[in-house]
Amino acid sequence: MAYLLLILFPVAMAACTFLLRTQTRFVLLAATATALAELALLTAVPVDGPARLLGLTLVLDPLSRLFLAAFFVIAAVAFAAALKLPHGENFVPIGLLLLTFTAATLLLLQEPFVVALLLISAAVLAVLAVIDLPTGSPLLVGRSTLAAALKYLVLMVVSGVVLYLAFVLVSIYEDTGTAQAFSATRLILALIAVGFGLRLAMVPFHSWLPDLAEHAAPMVTMLIITVINITSLLVLVSTLQYFGPIILFDNDLAIATMQALGVATALLGAVLALGQDNLRRALGYLVVYDAGMVLYGLTTLTSVGLAGALFEAFNQIAVVMLLFLSLSLLEQPDGRPSNVPRRDLLRRWPVAGVGFLVGGLALLGLPPFNGFASKLLIYQAAAQSGGPALVLLLLSTVVALLALGRVAYERLLGPSEDAASDQSPLLLGETDLDRLAPRALTPEPRGLAVIVCALIALCLVVGLYPQPVLATINDVIQGLTFIRA
Amino acid sequence: MNIPAIGIGLTCAIILLMRDWRFTVPALLINYLCLGWMLTQQQFIAPDLSFGGAQVSTTVVVKLITGLAAALILAITAITFSREYNTEDLDEFSLAELRRAARRAQRTIEPFRMSDYVVPFWSLVLAAAAALLLPRLYPVAQPYAVDFAWYWLALTGLFTLVTANDVLKVGLGLLLCVESVDLVYTAVAGRVQVFPLALLSLLTLVLALAVAYISGLLYGRLKTLDLAELYRR
Repeated sequence: MAYLLLILFPVAMAACTFLLRTQTRFVLLAATATALAELALLTAVPVDGPARLLGLTLVLDPLSRLFLAAFFVIAAVAFAAALKLPHGENFVPIGLLLLTFTAATLLLLQEPFVVALLLISAAVLAVLAVIDLPTGSPLLVGRSTLAAALKYLVLMVVSGVVLYLAFVLVSIYEDTGTAQAFSATRLILALIAVGFGLRLAMVPFHSWLPDLAEHAAPMVTMLIITVINITSLLVLVSTLQYFGPIILFDNDLAIATMQALGVATALLGAVLALGQDNLRRALGYLVVYDAGMVLYGLTTLTSVGLAGALFEAFNQIAVVMLLFLSLSLLEQPDGRPSNVPRRDLLRRWPVAGVGFLVGGLALLGLPPFNGFASKLLIYQAAAQSGGPALVLLLLSTVVALLALGRVAYERLLGPSEDAASDQSPLLLGETDLDRLAPRALTPEPRGLAVIVCALIALCLVVGLYPQPVLATINDVIQGLTFIRA
Repeated sequence: MNIPAIGIGLTCAIILLMRDWRFTVPALLINYLCLGWMLTQQQFIAPDLSFGGAQVSTTVVVKLITGLAAALILAITAITFSREYNTEDLDEFSLAELRRAARRAQRTIEPFRMSDYVVPFWSLVLAAAAALLLPRLYPVAQPYAVDFAWYWLALTGLFTLVTANDVLKVGLGLLLCVESVDLVYTAVAGRVQVFPLALLSLLTLVLALAVAYISGLLYGRLKTLDLAELYRR
C-alpha cells in the first residue's frame, strides 16, 4: 500500500494542480506539502521488503531511499522557491509527475524494461517543462529554447531505445547463457555506455546540458540535472549490480574506455566552461565536468571510487540546487536591459552571489564544502588505478577552478556600478537618455535568501561532517557484487 | 513471402524518403497496421479475443489502437499547420516578429530538388543492406521476418532522425524507434506483461503529443516546421 501511495499520490496531486494551475500560490504550496508528505511516506516504506504488483517486483533499497528522500526535499525547496521565481504554467504538475516517475523508477529497479521506459517518459515530461511559459505570458517560446528542448527530446528517446535494446540483449544472453555468433557482452556494454552517456551528458553526448542550462528556466534545469540525471545514475549502478557478471566479465578494455570517457568529460567540461562568456552556459559545462568525475569514480569499480561517485552524486543534488537558485536571484531584473553585462553581482545580490561562489567551490570539491570528501575519494580511486588519470582529473579541476574564477572576476566581483554612474558628468552630445537606466535597488527576496543560506549551511555541514551520508553509502556498497577491490 | 514485412519495409522507406506529410503520416498508419498483421501471424502471440469470428490478441489490439491514435495526432498536427497560433494573446513585438517570420517562411518555400533526396536515398540503401544482413549475423528474435522488421524499424527510424528536415519528421523517426523497441520486446519476452505493454503504448502517445506540441509552438513562432529555420543564427 505504501509503495502504491508513494507512486500514485503525486499523480493525483499533479492532476489537481493541473486543474488549478492558474492559482499559482495555492498550487505551489500544495506541491510543497505533497513533496513533504512523500518524504514522510517514505519512512513508512519498508527497506528491502519486496512487494509484487501486476507481475512486477517493487523494492526499496537503502541507497534508493537515501536519494529519494533527497529528491523529495529538493522538490519541496524548488516548489517553495518558485513562489518568488518566474516559472512555467505547468511547472508544478510536471514536477510532481517527475517525482512519480522517479519514485517508480527507483522502486522498480529490478525491472529493467520498465525502468528504461520510465526514464524515457520522465525525459519527455521534462521537455514539456522546458518549453512551458508562465501563466498568461504574452511572449512566444524562444527559438533557442525550442531547439534545446527538441535536442533533449531526441537524445533522450534515442538513449531510452538504446538502453532498452541493451536490456533485451542481456535477457537473451541470460537465457541462452552463451554468446550466439558474436561477443554479445561487448555490444551490450557499448549500448549501455551510449545509453547512459546520453542521459548523463558524457562527452561526446554532452551538448544538451549546456543548451538546457542556457535556455530553460533555472528550476527546470535544476530538476532535470538533480532528479532525472541522478536517477539515471542509480539505474546505472543497479544495471551493473544485476548484469555485472554478464557485461563486466572479461571486458577490461571496455571498462578502461569508459574510465577514459569519464576523464575526457571532466577535462572537456572544464575547458569549455573556461571559454564561456555566458554565466548559465559556463555553469552547464561545470556540471558536465562534475558528471565526468562521477562516471570516472563509478567505472573504477572499486569501493573507494564507487563511494566517491555516489557521495558526489548526493552532493550534486544540494550543490546544483544552490547554484541554480542563486543564478535565478542573480538574474533578477534590476531596471537595466538584460543584454547589459552586470559585473558587480556580488555587491548587488550579496546572498545570491555568495551562494553562487559557495556552490561553485563545492561543485569543484574545495574544502570545507561537501564536494571535498567525495572528490577526495574519487582522486584516491584514480591514484590506486594509476598516475595519468589522477593527473588529468586534478588538471581538469584546476581548469574548472579557473573557469569559476573567470566567472567570478567578470560577473560577480567587479566594483559597484551604481555609485559610478551617478557621479560621471554628461559628455558632449550625450543626454540622460543615453545613459543606463538607474537600478531598481530592491533587496533580495527574504524567503529565497533564507533558502540559499540554508543550502550554504548544508554544504558546509556535510563537508565538515560527511560520516552519516558516507556510512549509508558504504553500507550499500558492501552489498554490491560488481565491486572488484 | 511475408506481406506484412514487405508492408513495413515499404512504409518505412516512404517515411525516410518523402518530405511531405501527406505521404509520411499515412505511411506511419499503414506501418502500424502491418505491424499488427505481422504480430497476428506469430506463434508467440496467442489470440484471446474474438471479433466476429476472427481470433485476435489483446496485445495486437492495444498496439493497433495506439498506432492509430499516434498517427491521428500527427495527422491533425500537420493539418492545422496553417492555423494562426494564439496571436490574440501576443504583444506588439511578438506580432511583428510573427509577421517577419511568415514573410521569411514564404521566401524559403523551395521547389522540388533532386539533391534533397540524395542523402535519404543512400541512407535507405544502407539501412536496407544492414537490415537484411543483421538478422542473419546477429539473430535476436525469431523468425527472420520479425528480426528483419525490428532492425529495419530501428535503422530507418534513426536515419529518419538524422536526415529529418522538419519537426514532424523528427517525430516520425522517434515513433519508428519506439515501435522497433516495442516489437523486439513483444518478440523476445516470454510472456508480454501488462505494465510494460501499457507503458509502451503510453510512451508512444505522449511522444506523439509532445511532438505535436513542439510543432505547434514552432509553427507559432516561425510559421514553418523547417529545422533549418529553427537553427538559423
